[in-house]
Amino acid sequence: MLSIVTRSSARRLQSPIIPLRSFSSSVAALQAVPTETRPLNKEFKIYRWNPDEPQKKPELQSYTINLNECGPMILDALIKIKNEVDPTLTFRRSCREGICGSCAMNINGQNTLACLSRIDRNENKDTKIYPLPHMYVVKDLVPDLTLFYKQYKSIEPYLQTDNPPAQGEFLQSPEDRKKLDGLYECILCACCSTSCPSYWWNQDEYLGPATLMQAYRWIADSRDTYKAHRKEKLQNEMSLYRCHTIFNCARTCPKGLNPAAAIAQIKLHLAAD
Amino acid sequence: MTSRVFLCHSLAAAKRPLVPFQLVSRSTSNSAYVPGGPIYKGTVNDATTFPPAKKSVGSHHWTFERLLSAGLVPLTAAAFVTSGSATPLLDGLLGISLIVHSHIGFDTILVDYVHKRKFPTIGPVLTWTLRVTSLAVGVGVYQFNTNDIGLTELIRRVWTA
Repeated sequence: MLSIVTRSSARRLQSPIIPLRSFSSSVAALQAVPTETRPLNKEFKIYRWNPDEPQKKPELQSYTINLNECGPMILDALIKIKNEVDPTLTFRRSCREGICGSCAMNINGQNTLACLSRIDRNENKDTKIYPLPHMYVVKDLVPDLTLFYKQYKSIEPYLQTDNPPAQGEFLQSPEDRKKLDGLYECILCACCSTSCPSYWWNQDEYLGPATLMQAYRWIADSRDTYKAHRKEKLQNEMSLYRCHTIFNCARTCPKGLNPAAAIAQIKLHLAAD
Repeated sequence: MTSRVFLCHSLAAAKRPLVPFQLVSRSTSNSAYVPGGPIYKGTVNDATTFPPAKKSVGSHHWTFERLLSAGLVPLTAAAFVTSGSATPLLDGLLGISLIVHSHIGFDTILVDYVHKRKFPTIGPVLTWTLRVTSLAVGVGVYQFNTNDIGLTELIRRVWTA
């Protein structure tokens, strides 16, 4: 038994001598050097604030990375910085394709999704990244969206009806369904609300474009029978009428939606009551 | 909820006196609610509430403001083609409309920036200052229109001066 074990291990020791790659690779191929591309060094200035050091003021921290070794989007750059340069950099991200709304931030002065925003490949210009404006910051690029979600909850964003179908699907005509286009696509990334000056000054009472567009999404739904109740809620000075048609919301929306038009529709509906 | 969280903190502090004081004092649960501040009303799972419904500051206010703004366009154009002394009614209507229009505009600024929920003293003071001012301007325009040349004629004279 022992002799068999020794014999097999002796055979294994011999194996490296067998030339396996003699036909597949030549000496020249092994020595070839890949053509070098000039590194494209780009500076990113990123807002940093750490809640563990509350005495320290927020600051812009500079990172320079080689864009030739990075994906095309801002989110790729952020992930590269976090992986390779500074693991303490904090930001939200999930789907990397503009459907989750996690990576909403202010990039070069525009609220947008980092995953949908291309890196400007001009080396001479830095790219500045801040969290969504006028929100309480949890850390670095992470804003506190608690109030935003509490406001979304307040408009009862679900179907309410007193006469649902006895059985089967709740059908809608194609025309009625069309009224929801441009409303249901909203991913609640909060880019529009945090770009709205009215929301900056009065966000404790004013609902903001994202929530108001969802309020209209349920007012416009032909199957919902609680329209009067929904409209009654907005009949006050603050919730809806702090909108002064500034249109920052429509301009900044990374999904190309138009919250300002939805708010105008609500105002018309309320005026017609 | 607020008192429960606070109780938990004080219990923990009583059991383990080594809990750093900063941990207790940094807890937001026993801080007062400030409009626009980082403390929320209720828990994170409670929806925000709405002010009581009131059409006079809601849709009626909005509709009136829009109709007035739209009406000022033909009214101003009409004042251009007529003479103030010949059509005193139009002159008076223009005066009132302009005052109400600017009053609503200034009032919107006050609601936006110095609302009484955030500025309990200076907010109402400014609102009432605006009301008194608008009323005084109204009286002034009435006197000017009845006893003097009137708004339209004044602008005409300044224009051609």
